[in-house]
Amino acid sequence: MKRILVLALRDLRIEFRGRSGLLSALFFLGVVLLILGFALGPEENDLRRAAPGVLWVALAFAGSLLAGRVWAVEVENGTLDDLLLTPGSREWIYWGKFLFLWVLLLLVALVLLFMVAGMFYLPLDRAPGLFLTLILGATGYAAVATFYAGIVVRLSTAQLVLPILVFTVVVPVILAAVRATVGLAEGAAMAEVASWWKFLAAFDLIYLTACSLLFPFVIEG
Amino acid sequence: MTLIELENVWKRYGREWVLRDISLSVDAGEVVALLGPNGVGKTTLLRVAATLTRPQKGTVRLFGKPARRIDAERGELLYLANPPAFYRHLSGEENLQSSLQLMGKPVLDGEIEAAMRAVGLAPGKPVSAYSSGMKKRLTMARIRLLKPKVLLLDEPETALDAEGREMLLALIDEVKRGGAVLLATHDREFARAVADREVVMRP
Repeated sequence: MKRILVLALRDLRIEFRGRSGLLSALFFLGVVLLILGFALGPEENDLRRAAPGVLWVALAFAGSLLAGRVWAVEVENGTLDDLLLTPGSREWIYWGKFLFLWVLLLLVALVLLFMVAGMFYLPLDRAPGLFLTLILGATGYAAVATFYAGIVVRLSTAQLVLPILVFTVVVPVILAAVRATVGLAEGAAMAEVASWWKFLAAFDLIYLTACSLLFPFVIEG
Repeated sequence: MTLIELENVWKRYGREWVLRDISLSVDAGEVVALLGPNGVGKTTLLRVAATLTRPQKGTVRLFGKPARRIDAERGELLYLANPPAFYRHLSGEENLQSSLQLMGKPVLDGEIEAAMRAVGLAPGKPVSAYSSGMKKRLTMARIRLLKPKVLLLDEPETALDAEGREMLLALIDEVKRGGAVLLATHDREFARAVADREVVMRP
């Protein structure tokens, strides 16, 4: 557990000092929201109806940028070998990298939530529910993205291949998260929203378990 | 005791065989230097011995165990690539601290600073501001702190000044007591000074 935290905190420190991944994701989010805002026009009802979709489309694309950062720090510095030569089973490396991406995704999601609320009139009166949806969605996304980023880490085309692999698998998470967000925005009954949360939680559990168990085999050279 | 053992190892990249039927062993208390021209497979041999590259044929044993079965023992193994790999946004001491923590070794008060000062480095600078020679010195600080039993070094002497070389020779001598060192170099003089045995690889 200690090594997982050390790895995640170290990567976060490097990311905040380098800033390239986080800044480009935030800049990308700004551009996406601006374009979608212009495309949908000034009508409040149109913007409000599109808000859940905008939130998750923007987060999914920004997430694919951030997913590339999970292993980039090792590739840029040539330190992947050092990580692979640490003692013990390698599942903890997956969990450390997952935690790093999860925190980054949640930070971006939080900024995004307030941007969408401001620009697209996403109601924040059920904010705890929205936070829970973001946490569950980010968990599933990070679980899958960390795993596939590990598979393609040694490929020169990793940045091209990664989004294709991740989006293929992560579609159920995005769809469920959109449905839960729509339910919360439109004031649907809690039972209806909770059914999507259960789906997301089940997906998260299955993918976190499967990915962490398979990870040691895929990261070997 | 034999700490590094390669038996009939074959390794190819694509269609080209880089290592053909290589057998080599390094006992505890021994330093072996790999010599040979560029591209002959010295780095590949080190990576195979470090379990970072899987050979197509042959067996690798470390600490007397099949290489794929070592788990806890990886904490006693240190492979240092050329050029040295460090996180450039972190300072020298942050790199060393992270390395110790991830290897599961305790970080004692002042130990990292002392190791850095022992190799002539002052703490505080980010690695991005280090010269090649300073990075090599930082790898020496890493060896001092991790105290490996099996040390694999790829061209450790390059970029080091005379004083740095002396330090490196002393450090390898220290690891050798109870441990095994396998290193690749182009420098015959350095190999003669440091190694108990030289292995010349030919294309």
